[in-house]
Amino acid sequence: MTSVSRIAVVFCMMLFSTGLLARQLPEDPLDSVMWEAMAERFMPEGDIVFDDRVRVMAPLSAENQFHVPITVDATALDDVVEIVAMADLNPIPLVMSLRPSEALAFVGFRLKLQQTSPIHVGVRTRDGVWHVGGAIVDAAGGGCTAPAAAHGNSNWMKTLGETRAFAGRDTDHSARMTLRMRHPMDTGLAAGIPAFYLNELAVRDDEGNILAEIDLYEPVSENPTLTLKPRVGPEATVLTVSSRDTEGNIFNFPRDVPAATGL
Amino acid sequence: MQWFAAGCGCAICGSASARLLDFDLRAVEMASRTWAVLGRTEYFNMDNGGNIVNVAFVEVPDGVVVIDTGPSRRYGDALRRLIEKTVPGKPILRVYNTHHHPDHFLGNQSFDASLIAAPQKVIDNIALEGNGFTDNMYRLLGDWMRGTNAVAPGVALQADREDVGGRQFSLYYLSGHTSSDFVIRDDETGVLFAGDLAFLYRAPTTPHADIVSWRESLSVLAGIDKSLLIPGHGPSDDKDESLVQTGDYIDWLHGSLSDAVQRGLTMNEAMALPIPVRFEGLGVVRTEYERSVVHLYPALEDALFPVIELDQ
Repeated sequence: MTSVSRIAVVFCMMLFSTGLLARQLPEDPLDSVMWEAMAERFMPEGDIVFDDRVRVMAPLSAENQFHVPITVDATALDDVVEIVAMADLNPIPLVMSLRPSEALAFVGFRLKLQQTSPIHVGVRTRDGVWHVGGAIVDAAGGGCTAPAAAHGNSNWMKTLGETRAFAGRDTDHSARMTLRMRHPMDTGLAAGIPAFYLNELAVRDDEGNILAEIDLYEPVSENPTLTLKPRVGPEATVLTVSSRDTEGNIFNFPRDVPAATGL
Repeated sequence: MQWFAAGCGCAICGSASARLLDFDLRAVEMASRTWAVLGRTEYFNMDNGGNIVNVAFVEVPDGVVVIDTGPSRRYGDALRRLIEKTVPGKPILRVYNTHHHPDHFLGNQSFDASLIAAPQKVIDNIALEGNGFTDNMYRLLGDWMRGTNAVAPGVALQADREDVGGRQFSLYYLSGHTSSDFVIRDDETGVLFAGDLAFLYRAPTTPHADIVSWRESLSVLAGIDKSLLIPGHGPSDDKDESLVQTGDYIDWLHGSLSDAVQRGLTMNEAMALPIPVRFEGLGVVRTEYERSVVHLYPALEDALFPVIELDQ
């Protein structure tokens, strides 16, 4: 090998190892100091673009740092395979990951914020591209390190998993479902309280086909309240929700969806 | 060699843009020897320093009675100076706290705690939440809050009236804005100090609200014979307008959010709902409404969604 080509090989190897030949990360409009880390950890492959079609509804300021409402509406995008939400400055940044296989690209949830933080939501389409939206939420401190309110009540285990749910028609091909499940969602960061949280949830149709799957993580608020829009036909039907927590407790229930009438 | 100790008698300390933190409190005589100190109908910010609340004081034969003490030590001290300037040489005999929200009682340090009185539940609420409030107030208002600590009233009241320095006050133990809302009536002048059960031209706040008992309390207040009502926020009221307006707003709030919950809307979708035109004149209504969604939604969800039987 000539010395020039040897230098070229070494130079290419250096570029490769420093990642300069890897994908280009766009600059973050939210100017998060953790943007690169978030992208590398939670959207490791595929191109990333910021996209206004990923609507992230969030308050400017968290009235309650333990219950910060976020609604993601990416229904303007086609072929969404995954929606991932992260709170960049939380000690545990990953909040939830939804795979809306037969559901609209829409999810509502609430999270705990440890401090003022950018929230990024990555929406991966089938072509492998991550479309990203976000918002910055101002907050007082300590959302992740304070004990859940449930621990102020000595018999909180009795109502673990107590579920309330609403299901209704959105259109003749989709339903809207809001479910609320009693669970402390312990992060493990409050002194003496190990992590214990609802971590998996799936919605199935009346034939057992999966419509949506969600992985939930520690920052989801106590008593998780989730809103989804599963795809259903115009007839009345029954959806089944199955979920489990990190201790292997299982919570399953059915929910009726009325027929589409006059829509 | 002479060595000059550079004694800094310099008049320029700190940045040239440092602002003197001064509330410029004014006492407005609302009825005979009865003054209100009216705050701005805004949310806490660095410009108002927390002066968003109404406090009041009354000259009675033997001294002065004060209703609420403001959001900080700095305010409490300014209030004392104002009282002394307005009613010179008369001792403060009694301070009432109407409820445990930070803008109403965090000036307590400037007064003798053994003279500060409230229902036991207000005292309990202050003990429970006082330090959380100071944390948040410091975060919002910084140096305006310097030196402020939560001080609870020293006297727990339960009587339906008391005589202070030769003046009779009727006392009402209500709730709705919080779990304990204390209302005081000067039985000589007929002035009613309603605390935060009544808001006028300022959106009502709901962090501890129970709408149903709030409605009941508004009925009670409407039935009390009065010459004037001083609301917790907003101008003085001689025709019960604050009671009507507060009732109208909380009714709309409760109904609209109940409807949103029953449609399965997320909190963010509920926050984006329109506010009726008739409430546009209420100070900070949009911000306050969005705060109220967070306050009221979970309890409404628990009340309105059915509990589902789990398949085990």
